[in-house]
Amino acid sequence: MAHNGGGTPGFLRETGQLVGAVGRAMGITLRNLFRRPVTVRYPDVKRTYPDRFRGILALTYDRETGEENCIGCRLCEYICPPQVIKVEMLKSEKRNYAKTFTLELYACEFCELCVQVCPTDAIIMLRTFDLATADRRSMLLDKDRLHALGMQFEPSWATGNKLRDMQAPPKPAKAAAEGAKGEAKEPAE
Amino acid sequence: MTLPPVAWHAIEAFVVLNALLILVAYVTLLERKFAARMQSRIGPYYVGRPHGWLQPIADALKLMLKEDIVPTASDRWVYNLAPIVFLVPCLLIFATIPFAPELGVADLNIGVLFFLAVSSLEIVGLFMGGWGSNNKYALLSAMRAVNQIISYDLPFVFVALVPVLLAGSLQMSAIVAAQQGLWFVAYPVLGQLAFVLFLVATLAAENRVPFDILEAESELVAGFRVEYSGMKFALIQLGEYAHMLGTSFLGALLFLGGWSGPWPAWFGPIAFLLKAVGIFLLVTWVRWSFVRIRVDQILAISWKLLLPASIVLLLATGFVVALRGAGGA
Amino acid sequence: MPDTQVVELGYGGNERLMMNMGPQHPSSHGVFRMILTLEGETVVAVDAVIGYLHRCHEKLGETLTYVQYPSIASKTDYVAAMTSELAYVSAVEKVAKLEVPKRAQYLRVIAAELQRIASHCLWLGTWCLDMGGALGGGATVFLYCIREREMILDLFEELTGARLLYGFHQIGGTRYDAPAGWDTKVRATMDFMAKRIDEYEAMLDRNAFFLVRTQGVGVISGELAQAVGVSGPLIRGSGVKYDVRRAEPYSSYQDFDFVVPVETAGDCYARYLVRMVEFRESIRIVRQALDGLPEGPISSRPGVKSVGQVRVPKGEGYARVEGARGEVGCYIVSDGGPKPYRMKWRGASFSNLAVLPHIVPGHKVADVVAIMGSVDPVFGEVDR
Repeated sequence: MAHNGGGTPGFLRETGQLVGAVGRAMGITLRNLFRRPVTVRYPDVKRTYPDRFRGILALTYDRETGEENCIGCRLCEYICPPQVIKVEMLKSEKRNYAKTFTLELYACEFCELCVQVCPTDAIIMLRTFDLATADRRSMLLDKDRLHALGMQFEPSWATGNKLRDMQAPPKPAKAAAEGAKGEAKEPAE
Repeated sequence: MTLPPVAWHAIEAFVVLNALLILVAYVTLLERKFAARMQSRIGPYYVGRPHGWLQPIADALKLMLKEDIVPTASDRWVYNLAPIVFLVPCLLIFATIPFAPELGVADLNIGVLFFLAVSSLEIVGLFMGGWGSNNKYALLSAMRAVNQIISYDLPFVFVALVPVLLAGSLQMSAIVAAQQGLWFVAYPVLGQLAFVLFLVATLAAENRVPFDILEAESELVAGFRVEYSGMKFALIQLGEYAHMLGTSFLGALLFLGGWSGPWPAWFGPIAFLLKAVGIFLLVTWVRWSFVRIRVDQILAISWKLLLPASIVLLLATGFVVALRGAGGA
Repeated sequence: MPDTQVVELGYGGNERLMMNMGPQHPSSHGVFRMILTLEGETVVAVDAVIGYLHRCHEKLGETLTYVQYPSIASKTDYVAAMTSELAYVSAVEKVAKLEVPKRAQYLRVIAAELQRIASHCLWLGTWCLDMGGALGGGATVFLYCIREREMILDLFEELTGARLLYGFHQIGGTRYDAPAGWDTKVRATMDFMAKRIDEYEAMLDRNAFFLVRTQGVGVISGELAQAVGVSGPLIRGSGVKYDVRRAEPYSSYQDFDFVVPVETAGDCYARYLVRMVEFRESIRIVRQALDGLPEGPISSRPGVKSVGQVRVPKGEGYARVEGARGEVGCYIVSDGGPKPYRMKWRGASFSNLAVLPHIVPGHKVADVVAIMGSVDPVFGEVDR
């Protein structure tokens, strides 16, 4: 706080400014004292996660038939940037399955690319992340564990087909647009 | 059964010391909760839900169980003795503070002088800690500390002498007695100015933001304490907070009337405690509202602003007292 | 190119102390090592050492395809992830000569400006934290800023599902569209932020302690700024009116009306003023973009179906965006396949840090912290 040598008026003005600044800052701190804290008391209280929350991964069963959705096509394995998914395909008469499906959750980036690329909506992300453990090996998820997680927790909104429909215009609108040569583009939602 | 006076004093000292340690521990919790609320969060919560009542005990236990690490290149004796040399004066100042008219370990007739002198001794412990750690950060911090605390102890003493002049005695109980009618902070201009200067000097002498350049966590990572861990660190923390509380008690006694006020006599000590904690919270409020300023700016404030102001204030007080004495009570 | 300054103070007899600040240090904003030569409390020379956070992004760019890399691009400037991704996808779109639909462009603008607000919240909070200490008023401002940043991260969480590293952009547009009710939430958050920014300004603008720490500290002259190649708020605080959004408008920025703040003092306080104005201008842009958000597809390419889906014809191109810290650029050389042949990042913080050896000598140790905070580096960008 250098004094500008302006004599008494300068000194008083500076002191006045200082007192004003001090008062303002302390006033704001005092105001915040009476605001409700924003802390969410996890784990006693959990906040609601939005629909698209990218949590831990899981494999799904078909809603109607109860069959596994995964056809072992390995697209997720190829697209995964840190290469944490490993799949072995099991060929069968009507459709293929995944013989083994391992996902190393401790190295996963949660980028949702595997969900995006899955043609059968088999792999999804869940609306939770609570898998804290003291042993990293329990985060190497195998196929049974992935299916169990899928049954246990709430799924997030995103599946492969939904994401792809969001990014490209849905087929009926595109056909209508091409047919009518108009720009009846549905807003992708 | 009558015990010899020595035994009585020993028991008093023991009680005061224990009460002090518990008070210091819970004052840290209070500060943490208060600061947290000012920052839109809750403070300690899990240990002793819902208000974190057991947090200070958990912290104390943790520090006691920690490994005692002594750096190999440190100056052994200096390093190990520093926390004790730091802590003892900070606890000793409580010996002179009376909590009620007859309640106090030693109500010396030079009480204020003893308090101010002994409380400055912590600098020795501080510098020993900085030097003995054999760490450049610690040394830098210790040098800044010596600079700052010595510079601010001067205005601190001068401002603390204003109530002494107004009361006419260095004895603490006499100062409180002189405030039976009107607390010194309510004196027209002198009292308020003196109180404000006292708070500023306290902030600096306690290394509280905005004057906490010596421990500047973001630059010097805990300053002179950087090499201490475990129980030695606990002793240093204890000393710091005890010193902080001590000067709060002194402020409450000198300016806010100690135990006197419009309440029955049995409420006096509790009121005294509340006043001291109130000053502590005021200092905490300031601490959590400002960024710190540089060391050369801190010294500039002390030597160019606080010291002349406090001397002028002291002279004015002397003048007023002389006039009052000449004209009658 | 001006010489690195070494100030001779001639203390006569005093030894010089070489002190190491970092790489683990509470205020080095990441892993950054500064070897300071001190005389007493004054810094006489600075030797900056970087590279502690090198994660081979440019090599990753050669091994990952155009479909995979945008999620990784956010990890360079992880505090302002949207602008980092935008630099990469813009570069690829430039090389491939892809059109981005209007709705995607507006969504990109909204994301980038919201990200700018969030990044400046973090800047203000960590700067005050460095200057005020972890146990002091700095922590208070830090927690207020983080509280507000959390609201913007909540918006991003609704949009993409992630709070810090989004994967929002893809080649040809964006990956996610705004969910129902999102724009109301954004508008409400912007109104709330405007009031909170008033509070920060009230706490800091004429605060004597703050002014005395930041005025006259770390002055970068206009010539030095242009010679060293800083960008962003650093160069705008030194009097040079340069903003990539105006110099080379990308992603429909020419449709929006906003002010580019310029201050001439060149010190930390000037950069603070520039960023505070940028807060408000970003809020204005977000409101304009929401008002004018057109309907339409969000990508000019079909949805991601396989990893090698995007093939870019041979060529090379450089795209730059105005990130929160300065000009972030990405240079792509393509050889016709699904992966780039070479990818180079121009990190804004990397060039900004080059100015440190010129401005730090002569200041005290406490000022080093203030200067680092006002330069606002993020070491993901510096070391990549």
